Amino acid sequence: MTDKSMKFVPGQPDMWAFVLFETLVFTSYFAVYLIFRTASPQLYLQSQAHLSLRIGIFNTIVLLASSWAVARCVQASRDGRFASASTNAYLATALGFVFLGSKIFEWAKVIRSGFGFSTNEFFMHYYFLTAIHCLHVLIGFVALGVIIYQLRSPARRSQELVETGATYWHTVDFLWVLIFAMLYVVR
Amino acid sequence: MKSGVNNRLLVVWLVLSAITVGYFWMDRTVDHDGILRPSAVVTASAVMIALVKVRIIFREFMEVRKAPALLCRLTDAWIAIIAVSLLGCYFIGSAVG
Repeated sequence: MTDKSMKFVPGQPDMWAFVLFETLVFTSYFAVYLIFRTASPQLYLQSQAHLSLRIGIFNTIVLLASSWAVARCVQASRDGRFASASTNAYLATALGFVFLGSKIFEWAKVIRSGFGFSTNEFFMHYYFLTAIHCLHVLIGFVALGVIIYQLRSPARRSQELVETGATYWHTVDFLWVLIFAMLYVVR
Repeated sequence: MKSGVNNRLLVVWLVLSAITVGYFWMDRTVDHDGILRPSAVVTASAVMIALVKVRIIFREFMEVRKAPALLCRLTDAWIAIIAVSLLGCYFIGSAVG
């Protein structure tokens, strides 16, 4: 029986080092973005008005739901409920695709409104941050794929790898939480 | 016990989603007729709320609350670094600009 009070690091420590490093890289970018923003507040506000806060909120809730599914997957796997763990991993992947589809829809909408990468500073930051995040989502699909592959066969199952993949996917989620606040909410 | 654990995760997701929807109301308090207006209060609140959400994700979804104290302190320190960096850059930038 597992000691419930026992402390443990979820997944491989290397992944945590990567998570903290990635967070610092994004924080540096956000800091530069905010400095540029304060230099031209009206330009940023007028450009920001062309983004849909509704789509941003929808995307955030979808990605949070995906993270929730991955957290359920980790707990189910730990409890030996591998069918439930696989179902939750597939659900997380499906929600990730919903996020990606919604993001592509938003890009198409913004581009058709006449706002491209080189329109102004705000849209340069918008496309760069959302695209680099989508790249992380695509890498996250590989992590989720590894989780699903691990769970499919009793010979391959490794709780540590499941937790490591989950840690990466949660990072994709919380980076979006910060990007969403920076691009859609700050005034 | 298992359903208790899953219910906790459900509550966490609901809280995070409710906070996210709260942004909608927050921005409406300063914007008028579709025109966005600058607001240091909204900006500082948006950053702090986002960091509260990140901390909840760390502790609940990423299971940091069950991790050794070092990881708990490290993630909290990281959140503090982000808060100081972002709010510092915003307020210093505003003061200079």
